[in-house]
This record gives sequence, structure tokens and C-alpha cells, in this order.
Amino acid sequence: MPSAGAETKPAVASAMTPGPTPSFAALARRWYRLNQAGLRAAVIGAISLAAFLVVWHLLTTYRVVFFVRFVNVPTPLAVYASFTKAMHDPKFLMHLLLSCRRIFIGFSLAAIVGVPLGLIMGRFKLVHEAVFPVAEVLRPIPAIAWVPMAIMLWPTNEQSIVFITFLGSFFPILVNTLHGMSLVDPVLVRAAQCLGARERSIFREVYFPASLPHIFTGLTVGMGVAWVSLIAAEMISGQYGIGYFTWEAYSLVQYADIALGMIAIGVLGLASSLLIRAAGRLVMPWRPK
Amino acid sequence: MNEVRTKPPLGRIEVSNFSLSYESIDGAVQAVTDTRIHVDPGEFVSIVGPSGCGKSTLLNAVAGFLKPTTGVVTVDGEPVNGPSAERGMVFQQYSLFPWKTVRENVEFGLKMRGMPRSQRERAARTLLGLAGLEAFEKHYPERLSGGMKQRVGIVRALATGPKVLLLDEPFGALDAQTRVIMQQILTNMWQRLKISVLFVTHDIDEAIFLSDRVYCMTARPGSIKAEIPIPLDARGSSR
Repeated sequence: MPSAGAETKPAVASAMTPGPTPSFAALARRWYRLNQAGLRAAVIGAISLAAFLVVWHLLTTYRVVFFVRFVNVPTPLAVYASFTKAMHDPKFLMHLLLSCRRIFIGFSLAAIVGVPLGLIMGRFKLVHEAVFPVAEVLRPIPAIAWVPMAIMLWPTNEQSIVFITFLGSFFPILVNTLHGMSLVDPVLVRAAQCLGARERSIFREVYFPASLPHIFTGLTVGMGVAWVSLIAAEMISGQYGIGYFTWEAYSLVQYADIALGMIAIGVLGLASSLLIRAAGRLVMPWRPK
Repeated sequence: MNEVRTKPPLGRIEVSNFSLSYESIDGAVQAVTDTRIHVDPGEFVSIVGPSGCGKSTLLNAVAGFLKPTTGVVTVDGEPVNGPSAERGMVFQQYSLFPWKTVRENVEFGLKMRGMPRSQRERAARTLLGLAGLEAFEKHYPERLSGGMKQRVGIVRALATGPKVLLLDEPFGALDAQTRVIMQQILTNMWQRLKISVLFVTHDIDEAIFLSDRVYCMTARPGSIKAEIPIPLDARGSSR
């Protein structure tokens, strides 16, 4: 480590002296040692998923009835068959696409409104005092309970479903942003003031980045609730959408499609929360992984 | 910066008739009472006292975070009202912005002043080089040791070329060995920059080692009990 400073240098930088170039085998062994924990988790995870499939297969092929009735539950193979069929069915793909679009619009609106509102409420007491009580009263109402009201409020079915999705994700985003703002270290604000920062710069350079980890927690939770709300809304009032598909499958006695719909919902939910986590890493490079 | 050099030396801190009290349920509590201190341009002055004696309160008033109940704080004759980049500050708690790299932290004050990016990058690199920190310019603070963080904190406070440097127990959280190193670094920087320094500590040895003059404070209510000039030869031998 080069150091131009004449002063004594604290022994901080650990020695990173590269030895002679190691062989490929040695590198592979070192890689294995460093990633052992991750590999282990992956292997155990795969085994556990396989075991789940096997148990599911056994329970359904032998139509087990033991408190819970597996008589009508489709086997994994039946679900797989309906999956391959659905993949070539433009209608199924449209269901998926529509749900994704509703999530995208509802969730984006919630983030666009919720994050700035939380930041402003966290910074300005008057706004907090005025808005917080209303938010607290509305927050415990589950988004599903809004369905009749939403149908009355909005001219089209599509809009009311997006509205329900918006409501579901809005409150977690707002509350977490607010929480992040309340935890900003005052010493960082004072440090910024001592360096000549004014109100607006402090907001942009201190409050906002300091709240980002909590904002992303809010976005992750909000995305989960958005899916919950969307599926419920689609089942009740929908035409199209993966929630509607799942409910319709039940009405039409297409049992394999019920499981297919559920799995599709799970995969989409997982994918969207992974997307948010990736965005978080991108936006907050200073955070440890 | 050049303009500052041609004027007579700047950075005289004056605190006179100073008292500060705050309201509590039991009435007004006197944190600091009837205090008068000064720091001459280029002088290194410490305030020593037990914890809770009000020395940090006094320093925070000089920084502009607290308003005196009575009396005035002036720097070069101008009353202090609110924090400003004229008075650089180093805190006891690590106060680097975790979302900024070491260099971006050092650049912060210059950015606030509106200096263009390329110019402030160069300035920050130069300063980090002087402090022996150039190898760490791209690191985030989380990866630095405590001593290293405070070193960056000092560089950051000096980057805007303040008239005075205020330090609030900056080495309080460091281990003894790192502390000694940091004291030497601070002395070196001070000698090079000829800046006025007001340093708060509870460690008497530290105060004697660093300072031209030491104020001793007592608690409840906080006030200056003694003012002790430190002869040059006493400093080296204090360790």
C-alpha cells in the first residue's frame, strides 16, 4: 500500500501481498473453500424442493385422505402437463401480462406518491401532524375491504383493480419511509451543516440517502402486499389476470389449472421482489451484501 | 484561499459573558455559566473537564448549533448565528456519510460551495494525499478503522479552508495506540495550516500534549476554573 504521508501510518490495511500465481486446481480449491456455505445452501435447497415434489406426488397419486383431502388435488405431472399446454395458450400469457401490468402501474404509483410523501412528512412536522392521523385510520383497512368502494369510485374495472393494488403497497412504503426518516443520525445532519449545506442540500445529500435502506424495505414489503391485494381484487371483480385465472379454474373444475395459477403467482411474486432487491443493491453500493 | 493569506491572520474566537441554560420540568437548568474564553489566530486551545461539565455545550455554541442564553460568541468580531463552513467541526461519533466514498466525503464542503466536479476532485485528492489516505479514496467509510474514519473527518473539515477547527473529543472512541498516532497527525496538520483550533477533551494528557493553552472546566454549573498556558517544552515531555 503506497503512502505519501510522512506521518506514522496506523496498521489498518491488512496485507494483501499476492503470492506466486496459483495453479488452476489451487484456485478451484480456494474458490470452493470461500463459497462452501453458499454451495451447501444451494444443495440443501435443491434437495428440499425435490422432497416437496415427491411428497406432493405421493399424496396426490394415492389420493390420501388424512384430515386433509388430497382426492381432487392435481398431481405434479398433471400440473406440468397443463403448464406446457398453457405456455402455448395466448390467453394464459395474457392473464399473466395483465396482472404484471396492474402490479407495475399500481406499485409504481404507490412508490411515486408514498416515498416523497414519507420524506416530506419526516422533514416537516406540520405535514406529519396533518397527514399521519388520516394515514393511521386508513392503514389497518385491508385492501380487499376496499373492493366495493373501489368499484364505486372508479369508472372501469381495470382502474379499480389498479387502485386496490396501489392501496395495498402504498401504506408499507409510506410507513417505512417515515421510519427511515425518523432514524437519520442527527450528527450527520450537523456535519453537513458545518460543511455549508443548506436545507435543500441536506435533504438531498443526507436525509434521502440515509432513509434509502428503509425505503427499500418498504418497497419490498409493499410489493408483497401489492400481489396479495391484486390477486384478491382479480378473484372478486376481475376479468383476466392470474388471480381470475385461478378462480375461474376452480369454477370450471380445471383442478390442475388451480395449482398452475398458484405457482405462477408465487413465481411472479418472487421475481418482483428479487427485482427490487437488485435495484436496491444498484442504488446503495455502500451497503454490505 | 490566497486572499485569506494576504490579510492579517484570521480565526480569532471570542466567547464573552457566556451562559447557556435549558428548560426542564424542574425549571431552568444552568449548563454553562459566566464563561469567557478566547482563541488567538493560529492558536491551539483545549477545554478539559469531566463529562457533563458543559464543555461540549460550549463548543456546540461556538459551532452555531446552540444559542447562548446570555453573552456572545464571535469569530473575527462577527457574531456566530448558526453553523457555517467557516467553522469546521470534527465530532466524537463517526460522522462520515456512509453513502459517500472517502473522496466524496472530503469533497462535500466544496460541492456545497458550488465548486465544479473536476476541480473539487483534484482538491480532495491533494488533501487525501497530504494525510496519507490516497489509497483509500474510493473506499466507503464502513471499511475503514475508527482512526482512519476520524482522519478522514479531519480532512473533510479542513477541505473548505475554515478559519477555525472545532473538535469535540474526536479521539474519545479510539484505542490508546491509535490515539497517540492521531494526536501526532493533528499536530502536524495544525503546524502546517496555522489554523486556530478549539479542542474539547476529558483527557488532561492529551490536552497538554496538543495545546498552547488549556482551559479547565468544572461541572454544575459548567464554568472555567483555570486557564493554563503550556510551555513548549512541557508538551514533548508529557508523554
